[in-house]
Amino acid sequence: MKIVVCIKQVPATTAEKRYTDDLRLDRASTEAIINPLDEYAIEQALRLLDAGSVDAVSYLSMGPDQAAEALRRALAMGGDDATLVTDSALAGADEWTTATVLAAALDKLAPDIALMGMASDDARGSLVPGAVAAKRHLPLLSYGSELAIGEGTARVRRLSGTGFDWIEAPLPVVATVTDQVGEPRYASLKGIMAAKRKPMETWSLADLGLGEGDLRGGALTRVTDARPPEAKPPTERIENVGADEAATQIADWLASRKLI
Amino acid sequence: MSNDIFFFAEFAAGAPERSALELAAGAAELAAAGGGDTVALAYGAGAADGAAGLGAHGVARAVVLGDDAPAITFGPAAAVAVADAAPLAVLAPATPNGRDLAAALVGIGDLPAFGPVRAVRIADGAVESEQATLQGSVITTSRPVEGAPQPSVVLVLANTFTPVEGGSGSATVSQAAASDHPFTRATVAEHHEAEARVVNLEEATIIVAGGRGVGSAEGFEQLNELAAALGGAVGASRAAADAGWVPYQLQIGQTGKVVKPSLYLSAGISGAIQHRVGMQTAEHVVAINKDPDAPIGEFADLFVVGDLFQIVPKLTDEIRRRKG
Amino acid sequence: MARPGFRRGHARPSAEGTRRVTYRLTDDHLELRALVRELAEERIAPRAAEIDQSGEFPWDLKELLAKQDLLGAGLPATYGGTELDTLGQSILVEEIARADATTSLIPIVQKLGALPILLAGSEEQQQRYFPRLASGEWLIAFALTEAAAGSDVASNRMRAARDGDAYVLNGGKRFITHGSVANVLTVFALTDPGAGGRRGMSAFIVETDSPGFAAPRVEHKMGIRGSPTAELTFDDVRVPAENLIGAEGEGFKIAMATLDRSRLSIAAQAVGIAQGALDVAIGYAAERQQFGQRVTDFEGIQFMLADMASQTEAARQLTYAAAAAVDAVAPDLPYWTSSAKLVAGDTAMRVTTDAVQVLGGYGYITEYPVERMMRDAKITQLYEGTQQIQRLIVARQVLARAGVGKRR
Repeated sequence: MKIVVCIKQVPATTAEKRYTDDLRLDRASTEAIINPLDEYAIEQALRLLDAGSVDAVSYLSMGPDQAAEALRRALAMGGDDATLVTDSALAGADEWTTATVLAAALDKLAPDIALMGMASDDARGSLVPGAVAAKRHLPLLSYGSELAIGEGTARVRRLSGTGFDWIEAPLPVVATVTDQVGEPRYASLKGIMAAKRKPMETWSLADLGLGEGDLRGGALTRVTDARPPEAKPPTERIENVGADEAATQIADWLASRKLI
Repeated sequence: MSNDIFFFAEFAAGAPERSALELAAGAAELAAAGGGDTVALAYGAGAADGAAGLGAHGVARAVVLGDDAPAITFGPAAAVAVADAAPLAVLAPATPNGRDLAAALVGIGDLPAFGPVRAVRIADGAVESEQATLQGSVITTSRPVEGAPQPSVVLVLANTFTPVEGGSGSATVSQAAASDHPFTRATVAEHHEAEARVVNLEEATIIVAGGRGVGSAEGFEQLNELAAALGGAVGASRAAADAGWVPYQLQIGQTGKVVKPSLYLSAGISGAIQHRVGMQTAEHVVAINKDPDAPIGEFADLFVVGDLFQIVPKLTDEIRRRKG
Repeated sequence: MARPGFRRGHARPSAEGTRRVTYRLTDDHLELRALVRELAEERIAPRAAEIDQSGEFPWDLKELLAKQDLLGAGLPATYGGTELDTLGQSILVEEIARADATTSLIPIVQKLGALPILLAGSEEQQQRYFPRLASGEWLIAFALTEAAAGSDVASNRMRAARDGDAYVLNGGKRFITHGSVANVLTVFALTDPGAGGRRGMSAFIVETDSPGFAAPRVEHKMGIRGSPTAELTFDDVRVPAENLIGAEGEGFKIAMATLDRSRLSIAAQAVGIAQGALDVAIGYAAERQQFGQRVTDFEGIQFMLADMASQTEAARQLTYAAAAAVDAVAPDLPYWTSSAKLVAGDTAMRVTTDAVQVLGGYGYITEYPVERMMRDAKITQLYEGTQQIQRLIVARQVLARAGVGKRR
């Protein structure tokens, strides 16, 4: 039983972001981390590994060379090996491209479960896992607050509108988990040292048998404009007044905007 | 290829969700601009019976995908319906179910994907969408590349469009073809109902949200009363949901609901970026917090520095008094 | 006329070890720093005020550090340690101290207590104790100081008398960091009182569940309040003879060799405290508005921040250089470690005091951490040799280097 956790390197939430001339994030000059929501997928996989439910945990990432750092960091948390798909043709990849490439890499790695975080911090479309599943012709188990493995099946506990369900599908599957799986572990010092000796492979698109035609020029979408958000009017403050006065002022504010 | 606009219409307990009505309005708007029809991809409990009623919201045709099963299982049927019609765009709600279905379309049909968007329009014969990325630090406009396959799949945030009420038409209903795609192999193995009824936050136009500062499940009682006085619903930050004070269905933020009410009143929420991305498009934001330096003070329209336990009950009384 | 040695010393002050002192931070060091910083910011810093207020030893953070393999940093890998070099150990301590000085003492004292065994202990002793120390299952403390003999170690009074296959320890120790929470101690006692402290002292490993041992009292302190500083009593405590570290009479030598190295941890702790205070001061000053502008727009504040930053950096670089000297076993190792501790300790005191000044009234109240940091900083000028002792050591080293002998 093998899990491959797909992780993405993203700009740190607090990092200052710079953009290239063609309106893409300049990832080389921005502090980068493992997408925080992917850390929950790592944690879930490692918990299953600790419990003996799976035999191996591998990592897969697509990105520039420095995404290897994210894989090293994941290996420091635990797991066995990692693969980085990197290719200059992938700069500017959109969700369809990413899904196409990850699906091809996962076909080669052939895990029982391809596990991903529920969203990426820098885009939040959450479309890649489902598109990967579609491309690989596998069931999708998404938004699990827990992932469990049964006899030839996997299941996720998923929040419903009125409670929660356990959704089940036969293996192999593509699955995603939420931040409710439990807090991701910290890498230990020995984990960091051990990670250096764990195997990491780098694949190009050619290694995946993907040519330029397969990726239709690299993306199906393009960004035509990027700009800062509209400046919002300055915050009005109510401070240093008693609760009665504060309540009256809030009510006045709401009434003046026809909210009550 | 057509200039039709498709959209996913989720039903629950026999009626369309608010997201379905919002997207119906959006799809009708885009269809009118491009000179096409509005077509619903209806699924969920009661979709078969209720689909025709979408005609009252400007929907010309409705394809019923299925009834009560995990939403992802309807993806392949939707992909077939979409491939047959090759519309200009398919709108999907930016909810977990909507994202699963949109992803199925993108993966099965090799289609361009957008969103979650805060605005979408037709320009020069293609979809042009606007989205906030990198935690809202930048607003990008995107289009399909030249020669990209049609349709564009667009995830739409709640409250981007306003439902149009009062129509009386009836949509032509057809049943989607059955599929044996692996997506249909996901089944509900166990179903658990929560003890208390949970409000669908995406439907609320006024939300009173509480965070760590509320301190306890009992603390949320005060927020319930304020929400009732305002005619709104109660939401929460992840900290409050993690603490078990409210069910996770009420969590607002990056990993919870993304809401866009006309009034968002928060109490005891510091306003971390992960929370902010779930509510930053609210029209009016009022925040009550005892920490004058809380980050929420930087993006609230009205920031009240004070003790929520003193202010909230007084505010509830004041609003009740004014409403008579 | 100047002595020839003095001239030579001035022109070419490069004793053999001095030349070898070079260092470079490797990727491993940077990764270690990132790991510890993340832990410190997310898990340790939020506990610091509470630990200071309650004065309770942070057992939860001891567990956390143990789980992340940070308590066996200097111990051999064969016994479960991670064999970090001294520079790595300094970074470890610095990053923890940046969040909380009390918690940084957990790895500091774990190393201090283990050093006598590492430097002079037998294979059997290392095998017996290091795995439990490296895993953090056991804490160790270093029991040298006595009530009447602080800086003047040679005048220690505690006795150890041979009795068959054991030694019987009698006496007391004072100001023993972690003495009340440790499972095992390295204890220094006179086996030959007639020979005096320098030649008559021996070092022992004492397990704290031994009958006759007690830690009756802990001190109420100004800073590092969560780190128990204990008074220890030994009343006919029998210690197996195999727990003698090195040979009889080597105790003073072992103690000094230990302190020559361990005081570098205090330098690293001081650098961390200073950096923590500097970070708070900059963060506060950048936000604070006075007279219609940010206080960082005032040159007076800018100059203070510049002094704090450059002095902290100087202390850090000297500490790292001293770490390299320890790993190179430079012949003038005490010169480096004492200089580092002297400079870093004084820097921590000055920078934390200035940080309080930058914050003004807010710096003086417990709502902000700098008043705690200022209280914590003071200890770095006192323990593991006061600053005055460090000056004596540095002076002895530079005079020796210049060929100036001891005055008889």
